Amino acid sequence: MEQLIANGIIYGCIIALAAIGLSLAYRILNFANFAHGEFLTLGAYFALFFAASLDLGFLFACILAIAATAAFGVALDLLAWRPMRSSGASRTAIMILSIGVSIAIRNALIIFFRPDALRFPLPVSQGINFGGMTVTSLQFEVVLIAIAAMLLVHALLSRSTLGKSMRALADNPDLARISGINVDRVIRCTWAVSMGLAALAGIMYGLITHLNPNMGWSIILPMFAAAILGGIGNAYGAMAGGIIIGLSQEISTAFLPAEYKIAVSFLIMIAVLLFRPRGLMGGG
Amino acid sequence: MLDYLVSIALTAGIYAIFALGLNLQWGYAGLLNFGHVAFMAMGAYVTVLLSMNGVPLLLAVLAGMILAGAAGAFLGMATLRLREDYLAIVTIGFSEILRFVLLNWSTLTRGSFGLFGYPRPFQDLVGIRDYNLFLAGLVLAVLLLVYILLETLARSPWGRVLKSIRDDEAVAISLGKNAFSYKVQALALGSAIAALSGSLLAFYLQYINPNNFQPIETFYAWIIVIMGGSGNNRGTILGALILWGFFSTTRFMEGYLSFSPTASSGARMVLIGLILIGLMMFRPQGLLGRKEELSIGR
Repeated sequence: MEQLIANGIIYGCIIALAAIGLSLAYRILNFANFAHGEFLTLGAYFALFFAASLDLGFLFACILAIAATAAFGVALDLLAWRPMRSSGASRTAIMILSIGVSIAIRNALIIFFRPDALRFPLPVSQGINFGGMTVTSLQFEVVLIAIAAMLLVHALLSRSTLGKSMRALADNPDLARISGINVDRVIRCTWAVSMGLAALAGIMYGLITHLNPNMGWSIILPMFAAAILGGIGNAYGAMAGGIIIGLSQEISTAFLPAEYKIAVSFLIMIAVLLFRPRGLMGGG
Repeated sequence: MLDYLVSIALTAGIYAIFALGLNLQWGYAGLLNFGHVAFMAMGAYVTVLLSMNGVPLLLAVLAGMILAGAAGAFLGMATLRLREDYLAIVTIGFSEILRFVLLNWSTLTRGSFGLFGYPRPFQDLVGIRDYNLFLAGLVLAVLLLVYILLETLARSPWGRVLKSIRDDEAVAISLGKNAFSYKVQALALGSAIAALSGSLLAFYLQYINPNNFQPIETFYAWIIVIMGGSGNNRGTILGALILWGFFSTTRFMEGYLSFSPTASSGARMVLIGLILIGLMMFRPQGLLGRKEELSIGR
């Protein structure tokens, strides 16, 4: 059981990072982004590509991959999301478009990297024993980096001007615009943050399991479940939701076949929607 | 030549029925069902499992439709009082969970081995040689019936209320219409139609496997509906023919290009994604749709 809790916390941190990005996009861009899973996959493959092709060390490759994914997000905004916004398309139209983005990215990765499972070029890390649970040093680092990233998001949202503009935009886009906020710039920054976090989550997921072009799509459901559980649009809720979803999925394997893990997050999501649709912490 | 026409009628026809169910939900009621394939899978599996256990085929098909309709109604009831995107999230999740259950409940479904050797309608009467011709006729007859049903419904007071809810829910409610109940009904009926297409697919394939029902099938239906023109049943049938044309042309071209099988199927799927993006960006009303009738507000 202790081992399952440890695994749940590790998996939960990854889901939490992914769900923060999903929730931010929902709150500020006002739509459910079904391509978010592919942004995780993209980040992981960027890291693999940079680590294999540049002789710079894995950590640097990861930083570069996060930057590249964020830049990709900004480019995607210029190419697709912004034209949609300025033509007055509704959020449902943008949501359907995000499905197209998801299908295109996933299959482009299949063409370039083949559908096989790949691993990061890292040595196997040593297990450390913590009163009944074995955690590898790599998994330990994953949790620490995830916590650091969450603190950074907190600082960004609560302290910086960008964070204030983001919240203003989410609360009332028209008011934000007339009070002199550059809406397009704030939206591009939101994409960069959301996709940077997705890339980080993707790299971490690749580290504790493996990479394949379906990896992000396969956990889109726990991501949405975490965002909804925390109150969709609420970044802190998404963090808590991610950890709860991660823990419940892993602990469920003590009673249920492991194949049904994902069903646990689906059931939690349905229960939240039926009984507490604004989530645990209230959301948009 | 006849074989060719029969294969068009079977594949495009079954997909047209499948997509007509979605057109009722999205085109007429503005409901975002991203898990349409789940209801097709329910139709296929319920029909096959019941008929293998001696239930008459017609009853087995009806049971699949009723079960899928009930599942659609339940998902609607859980989400339709909230913002419209919750339905999308929950239905896509449902379709994946159902596929996992079908894959892992191997005592019932034989998992990824799939089911085969099940009864097909009138198979003793028709004989194996002409069976596909007969089945193509059956698919076209069902397609015609579903089309007539949907056209009649669209012109009925029920269909007009549905469209008014899609266009402005507040107005419909203020006129005393129970918008929630209308949406749940549309969701249930569309899901039952998807189940019917699933039964036909099972008869055609003679072998069903949970991996026939991947989420991408849902988005084929979306492309069919949007390309034809959301809210236009004739457009949906046209869309199904175009998508069939797309698949047969790209398969034909594969013979001339020296791609590996994974690369060429990947390239085809990238195109599918780009088509969806292009439709949403440049022609959201599709070929036969009307811009002012679009449930996506442009």
